[in-house]
Amino acid sequence: MKIIERGIISDYDLKRPGVKIAYGFMLLVILVMVCTMLYPLLVIFFNGLKLNAEVNSFPPTFLPSEIHFENYHKAWTYIKLPLFARNTLFIFAGNMFMTIVVVGFASFSLSRMNVPYKKAIQYFFLMTLFIPPTTYIIPNFVNLRDLGLMNTFWALWLPAGANAFFLLLLKSFFDGINIEMFESGRIDGASEPRLFFQIAFPLSVPIFATLAIFVFSSSWNDWYWPSLILSDNNHYPLATAIYKYVVNVRRLDTNIKFAILSMVTFPPVIVFLIFQKYIVRGLHLGGVKG
Amino acid sequence: MNQTTAVPRLPLDSLPKRPPAKWKKYIWGYLFLLPAVAIFFTFLWMPIGKGIIFSFYHIDFVKGDSFVGWENYKRVFKDPEVMVSVKNTLYYMGLGIVIGFWVPILFAIAISEMRRLQGFARIAAYLPYVVPLVVLYGLWRWLYDPVGPINAVLSHIGFDTILFMTDKAWSMISIVIMETWQSFGSALLIYLAAILSIPRDWYEAAEIDGAGIWGRIRHITLPAIKTQVVLLFLLQLIATSQGFQTQYALLDGGPNNATLTYALLVVRYAFTRQDYGSASALGVLMFLVLGLLAVIQYRISNKEGA
Repeated sequence: MKIIERGIISDYDLKRPGVKIAYGFMLLVILVMVCTMLYPLLVIFFNGLKLNAEVNSFPPTFLPSEIHFENYHKAWTYIKLPLFARNTLFIFAGNMFMTIVVVGFASFSLSRMNVPYKKAIQYFFLMTLFIPPTTYIIPNFVNLRDLGLMNTFWALWLPAGANAFFLLLLKSFFDGINIEMFESGRIDGASEPRLFFQIAFPLSVPIFATLAIFVFSSSWNDWYWPSLILSDNNHYPLATAIYKYVVNVRRLDTNIKFAILSMVTFPPVIVFLIFQKYIVRGLHLGGVKG
Repeated sequence: MNQTTAVPRLPLDSLPKRPPAKWKKYIWGYLFLLPAVAIFFTFLWMPIGKGIIFSFYHIDFVKGDSFVGWENYKRVFKDPEVMVSVKNTLYYMGLGIVIGFWVPILFAIAISEMRRLQGFARIAAYLPYVVPLVVLYGLWRWLYDPVGPINAVLSHIGFDTILFMTDKAWSMISIVIMETWQSFGSALLIYLAAILSIPRDWYEAAEIDGAGIWGRIRHITLPAIKTQVVLLFLLQLIATSQGFQTQYALLDGGPNNATLTYALLVVRYAFTRQDYGSASALGVLMFLVLGLLAVIQYRISNKEGA
């Protein structure tokens, strides 16, 4: 016999006309939701193909009446996209390195190594979660200035290691690894760094992948903080450059604007669509984000 | 160790070697912690401490800082914009709950009932979360335009044009709608995972006992996701109380300070007026208020628990 998958509503309920109508209405609402999600994203792309007059026409059209691929060529030459994309990747790589080395080492030590005063040290890290960002955004800026890190990538890389949320995630993951593996490693004479790199790290690839998603999305998205820290235009990450040179510029033609926006939108969207199975699983591994 | 036997233990691994061995036992643990302690100290605790100190100083990058006592706090308390920003922040937090908070719960329940294409709906809902925020700012400026697509639909149905961005009554609502649209997918995934992990036979049993569909949702589904609801509620309140980037990017606090949130005012004090001392004072005040609320909340929940 085939096992029938059921939810809150059973197949028996679905035979009743009232439930049928309500169920149909529910599906319609979901469909509307899906459309409101997809329409704006598709319209970014289509607007990039239209003539400027068509983008600004009222009522707006969805599909372009004529296709103008040359907009994308113009958009490509308007700002140095490869340079800014490279900066973003550069920032991501540094932040990821700091996350693995600083946060990874520390959480491994707290979780699987013998350290006196462990509790106190843990509080030292986790108490920072209770400080509201509004309180330290300005002193942090002044502090980075005092340290002479302004306009260098170090001002983004080094603070990336100070993330108590990631520390908590990693520690709880390490806590789940069988401690005997490390004990036997120690008996066999493995050094502690070796235990980290050859046992803990390979076993924790899923959680590091999850952190990589978080770190990537923050370096791809963050535009405000880099715009304060980096005053040299050639250091801007993509998001900051787009905000300053595209979104906030009035005299730029709207169709070119959308062509640029679609070029930055689609790489992450396509990567997400290809790897969505793993990414969604990874996000669940990270528990509740925030 | 007291030795009662006549034969003394040979000092093979005793005194001289012991202390280094013990020290060695812990050194790696501390070495592993050292970078994190240094980084957390330099980039979190030091700014936090400095913030308290700065709030009593006039910060001048050129001439050097000078002690001003309570001046910064007095200035902040006299500033009418502070009251406006507090009101706006509370309004923003409230709107976030009224407009946005229930949306992912509702859609999570609805999507969990889909028999087909569930994955598709889930991905579609999550998709805007993947798009860079700056792109969304550009996009929504166009969508909210007086001659943009939303107003085209409205005029088609027969409504008047709504000035989403420039009308004081609408600007904050527009921002909340945009943020809900952008981020409800991530909350939806959390709720959906919790709903799908409810054993199906609970519903079966409830149905046999005569519970209607609404009764099943009320007595099985909602209690099962209660922890997630409470947690995301708190996280949303915390996040919106700190929010300023969308308000800054889309409207720079306008029109007429209608979207000036507290955090945006802090940023404005620092980077527009170059008054880092007063900005730090505002930050300290925020910390005190939130700390007080946390203590009160802790007291209340403790009383309830007892």
